[in-house]
Amino acid sequence: MLEIEGASINYGPVSAVRNVSLTVEKGEIVALLGPNGAGKTSLLSAAMGLRPLAAGSIRFKGEDLRKLDTETRVRRGLTLTPEGRKVFANLTVLENLELGAATRKKGAEIHHDMEMCFELFPILAERRHQTGGSLSGGEQQMLAIARSLMSRPSLLMLDEPSLGLAPRIVQQIFRLIRDLRGRDLTILLVEQNAHEVLRFADRAYVLSTGECRYAGPASRLHDKDALMQAYIGELVA
Amino acid sequence: MNTISVAEGRRSPGLVLDARLAGNARGALYLAVIAAAVGLLIMAFGSPFIVRLMATAYINLIVVVGLQIFMGNANVVNIGHAGFMALGAYFVAIFATPVMMKAVVIPNAPFGMSGVEVGALWAFLISVAMTTLIGLISGLVLVRLAGIAATILTISILVIVQGVLVTWTDLFRGAQAFFGIPKAVGPGLIILATVAALVIARMFKGSRAGVQLRASATDPLAAEAMGVDVKRLRLVAWVLGSAVVGCAGALYALYAGTINARAFYFHTAFLTLAMSIVGGMRSVTGAMVGVALLTVLLELIRIVEGGITVFGIEFPDMLGLSGLMLGVIIVTVMCFRPDGFMGGHEIEEAIAALRKRFGRGKDES
Amino acid sequence: MEYLIEQALNGFSIGAQYSLLALGLAIVFSVMGLVNFAHGEFIGVAGYAMFAMAAMGMTNPWLLVLFAVVTVVLAALVIERIAFRSVRDAPPTTGLLTAFGVGIVLQNLFLLLVSPRPKAVPALSALNQTVDVWGHNFTILQFLEVGVTAVAIGALVWFLRGTRIGLAMRAAALDFTTVRLMGMRANRVIAFAFAISGLLASIAAIFFIARRGAIDPFMGLLPVLKAFVACVLGGFGSLPGAVIGGLLLGFIEVMLIVLLPDKLAGLRDASVFLIVGAILVFRPQGILGKRVELGDKTA
Repeated sequence: MLEIEGASINYGPVSAVRNVSLTVEKGEIVALLGPNGAGKTSLLSAAMGLRPLAAGSIRFKGEDLRKLDTETRVRRGLTLTPEGRKVFANLTVLENLELGAATRKKGAEIHHDMEMCFELFPILAERRHQTGGSLSGGEQQMLAIARSLMSRPSLLMLDEPSLGLAPRIVQQIFRLIRDLRGRDLTILLVEQNAHEVLRFADRAYVLSTGECRYAGPASRLHDKDALMQAYIGELVA
Repeated sequence: MNTISVAEGRRSPGLVLDARLAGNARGALYLAVIAAAVGLLIMAFGSPFIVRLMATAYINLIVVVGLQIFMGNANVVNIGHAGFMALGAYFVAIFATPVMMKAVVIPNAPFGMSGVEVGALWAFLISVAMTTLIGLISGLVLVRLAGIAATILTISILVIVQGVLVTWTDLFRGAQAFFGIPKAVGPGLIILATVAALVIARMFKGSRAGVQLRASATDPLAAEAMGVDVKRLRLVAWVLGSAVVGCAGALYALYAGTINARAFYFHTAFLTLAMSIVGGMRSVTGAMVGVALLTVLLELIRIVEGGITVFGIEFPDMLGLSGLMLGVIIVTVMCFRPDGFMGGHEIEEAIAALRKRFGRGKDES
Repeated sequence: MEYLIEQALNGFSIGAQYSLLALGLAIVFSVMGLVNFAHGEFIGVAGYAMFAMAAMGMTNPWLLVLFAVVTVVLAALVIERIAFRSVRDAPPTTGLLTAFGVGIVLQNLFLLLVSPRPKAVPALSALNQTVDVWGHNFTILQFLEVGVTAVAIGALVWFLRGTRIGLAMRAAALDFTTVRLMGMRANRVIAFAFAISGLLASIAAIFFIARRGAIDPFMGLLPVLKAFVACVLGGFGSLPGAVIGGLLLGFIEVMLIVLLPDKLAGLRDASVFLIVGAILVFRPQGILGKRVELGDKTA
């Protein structure tokens, strides 16, 4: 579904990602792991068109994305829940969800999806008239995911959904992500919380200092040593 | 991503301070030599009209340099400088104009000013001192404000100064021209002052205070975290800039002999601001380039503006053409080269870059 | 007492104009971080549009007003496309200076194409007729100013709360990138912001021109400066702040007209700015604004 080939990303003279290839197949949960500054967020930004690629290509459902702007990519079914949630703090929960459906026209369908989100995240239904800024961190993360779902994506990219959340909330969020797989959704998940994610991901990539250190089944990284090896060790071909 | 942006911030050139100071001195010398040489050549060979043009351009250059000291280093758009130019000009006029002239120009001046007359040099010094003092007072307020609020305050200064000048008829002659100021300054002195202003601005930019101020303009929080007193630095730059601009005003009054409050309002403010932008407001060399480019260009347009005849076809007056071009140039520069012609670089950096490009063989030996 | 009521309405009606202008500035600023120094030139655009149509023989004031409004909105869109789009991601200083260049271009276009001298636009003078309400003298214009401004602000509030693009504009004030991640077209959001700012400015311009009965190339400068002041007073980028700042400024001006004798009329503008300076010294963030430290995301 998503094919990134030989991607390189630069910030001015600093190279953030070098020659990284990554694919996500329909129905998969793929984990993108790696320490801080590995280039994970840069890669997702490039996939969304927020960052230009210095080299390489990105295809989505067979279509070359490089010519398309961010807004059009969303319309094609690609969506990103950004790092740090980025809910609109001055808008209510309902308004946040409404904006999430910005690419869609049919009011009845949008309303239906909103109800679905409220089923998925009952707490949001309770807080529907509160502003995004007044929610707790976990609730904000739920809102951010729900907002992404409102565009009816076929590929959902989540950037560190567990960032800054209490362990109990993290468990809840991860359970949700697993449930989403059942809803005809493909997921690319960026995380630092590797152990948790590897339990339910199908495949995993490990990025470190801008280079791909591991690409393969998630199960192979269940072993602690193998994971360490991938994080700090030699490049795995 | 975060780590990367931090790394980018650290990328600032790791010049040793001594090397930087040497570079500054050389850069200042280049600017001084060029400004002096061009000025003196024009004085020697130019027609009276060209010499007058040069003198006005050099006074504008002093203003732009004064503007650069605050705006270029602190990165706050300043529109109030024309007000300080006015203050410099009017203070010098009030002190230097002969008592006999004052009986005609400002017979009812308060504080017994109509009976005071000092030499041009003393008047100049008093004027610059008073302007600097006002710069200090306004600066204490200004440095408390950030961004657009600070810009609004500089506009306020301009409007207030203009309002006072126009209303206080007894002292400033109001909207009428203030004439009879001794023409004590010739083009030579203006060139000298310009050279001094260039050197001051250049040394300030490279000084410890200048470097810290520029760093704080890019990242104020980081600068404060490192113990840099941003407000104090901004105040220093503001006061120094006001003093330099005040000098320009005083010189102008002593050169022209007649001043008019309307000449120190938005039009002048915008023209000099445009010069600063076009050359690149972060660079002192840019100030020089901007003044040179716009002076020549606007003078050429003015020929067309008055209505010319080309191949027997008479073109009508095109008042506003020079202003139009001024605006177009600003927008174009901002869209395509927002850092101005010099892109924030100084002359010695440009020369080094040129040498590298053309004389690679020599450098490598 | 009578005098006081009249002056109060006067303050409201002048303040309403500043509020409209300040709102336009604040909307564009909050959405894209641009300080649109050329905003005042929309007044000139409206004025010269009316002047041109009147010169071509159109006398119906309603049509003139409509034409002026449409022209200003189109001008706002064109200016955004030509000048501001290319500096969209640039630092605020670049945007401010670009806007200032655009302002100079427009002023000199009026000067070049029409005349440096003021021109009469008498079509709306009828609005200056006085009417007698409960023994007080008011002009029709004053009621229109207050009424139309109130309606415009109401419509704006509805737009920002009730429409998707309005939501997007509010959201963009916080985080434009995430708005784009929702699939909302950045160009559309910004175009709407400019169209609305132009629309509000054109309403203010019509009142402004009706009051003065004449236009000149530089007529937009002082109003836009005062609209800036209104924004700063209210807290830059805050929409309620812009309205309140505008009204406050209107009252300050009326007060100064009453207090300062004609001999000191030249000090009126200076005093306005002096008061603004004084307010900023004690509340640098404006009246409704949040405390902004040096280096926060402001212009």
